[in-house]
Amino acid sequence: MTDRILHAPPDLDLFTRDQPRLDDAFPRRINADPENLERGLAQLVLTIVELLRQLMERQALRRIDGGTLSKEQVERLGHTFMELDKRMVELRDSFGLNEEDLNLNLGPLGNLL
Amino acid sequence: MIEVYAIADHPGPPLPDVNGVRAVPAGRIAALCAAVEETALSPAALWAHEAVVEALMEDRDLLPVRYGTRLADEAQVLRAVAERHDALLAALDGVRGAAEVSLRVVAPADGPAPAEAAARVHEQLAGQARAATVLDAAESRDLLRAAYLVDRGGSAGFAEAVATHQRAHPDLRLLCTGPWPPYSFAER
Amino acid sequence: MSTAVADQEVALIDLVDRLLGGGVVIAGDITLAVADVDLVYVQLRALISSVATAEDKHLMPRMGSAL
Repeated sequence: MTDRILHAPPDLDLFTRDQPRLDDAFPRRINADPENLERGLAQLVLTIVELLRQLMERQALRRIDGGTLSKEQVERLGHTFMELDKRMVELRDSFGLNEEDLNLNLGPLGNLL
Repeated sequence: MIEVYAIADHPGPPLPDVNGVRAVPAGRIAALCAAVEETALSPAALWAHEAVVEALMEDRDLLPVRYGTRLADEAQVLRAVAERHDALLAALDGVRGAAEVSLRVVAPADGPAPAEAAARVHEQLAGQARAATVLDAAESRDLLRAAYLVDRGGSAGFAEAVATHQRAHPDLRLLCTGPWPPYSFAER
Repeated sequence: MSTAVADQEVALIDLVDRLLGGGVVIAGDITLAVADVDLVYVQLRALISSVATAEDKHLMPRMGSAL
């Protein structure tokens, strides 16, 4: 996978994610106590889900801004993201997690979400 | 579920033994696909999928199919491909013997953001490629993101061109990756 | 960030955008399964298509997504 890079400048960090990387953040916040392991795992998973949801939303918004979608399509998109958001809240609740639990603080890089 | 990896010519060379990939032929094209289990989305899953597409691309031209394209059975795959036969064949013709190279341009950490310079670099690189397209930014720092269709085996030469532009533009940072299957040139 | 890790990340960025945003669309729904804990299938009943081709298609590709 890393042999994909054909040319890169020395300061490759300029091209890495705006959003801080997950791997660095998780160990600091994930509760690895066996009793709470399931919750910790859910925390991890839901954070990824939330990140991907935001990526999808961003892509969708680009399409909307691009003006290539009809009013009906835009409405449907909006409705879908609302549903998705609701579902996220349900999932979070069922694991006793709140919004901050999915918002990992990554020091100088700020918050993940 | 049947996951579709790519569209290729039919008939074609024997398929590699990877993931149980089979060909579902329709006219002069075939969908290359495999029965799959539910797989959670993750970098590993994406790379595994990509490995299959690239194994297929080693000895055939193909149109990579969007990730997550799953249909209930081969009959549905056949119908989906047959419905789009001519368009798919035309798109496949457009990428014969070619691969995709990616470019991202950002400004250095402390510098201004010379979008015009980035556009000029893109124009020149486009002149050396079979086709070129500007893509949405990957990250908010991107001044430009583009894909170029180059001849197979031509990515090293293209990388040199990028390196030359990098030397000529200390006010930009250029990142070039590839070769990729022609994802950005698959739809017309 | 170490170089090796940065290498992997930039390669992944280019891969993700290609796999999820590129490639030919032959089916109406794109299904992505996320979350081992709970398979969440939310079909995105929205028409997200490649920017240049939205008008070309008779059948607008719909991007369903499980997030």
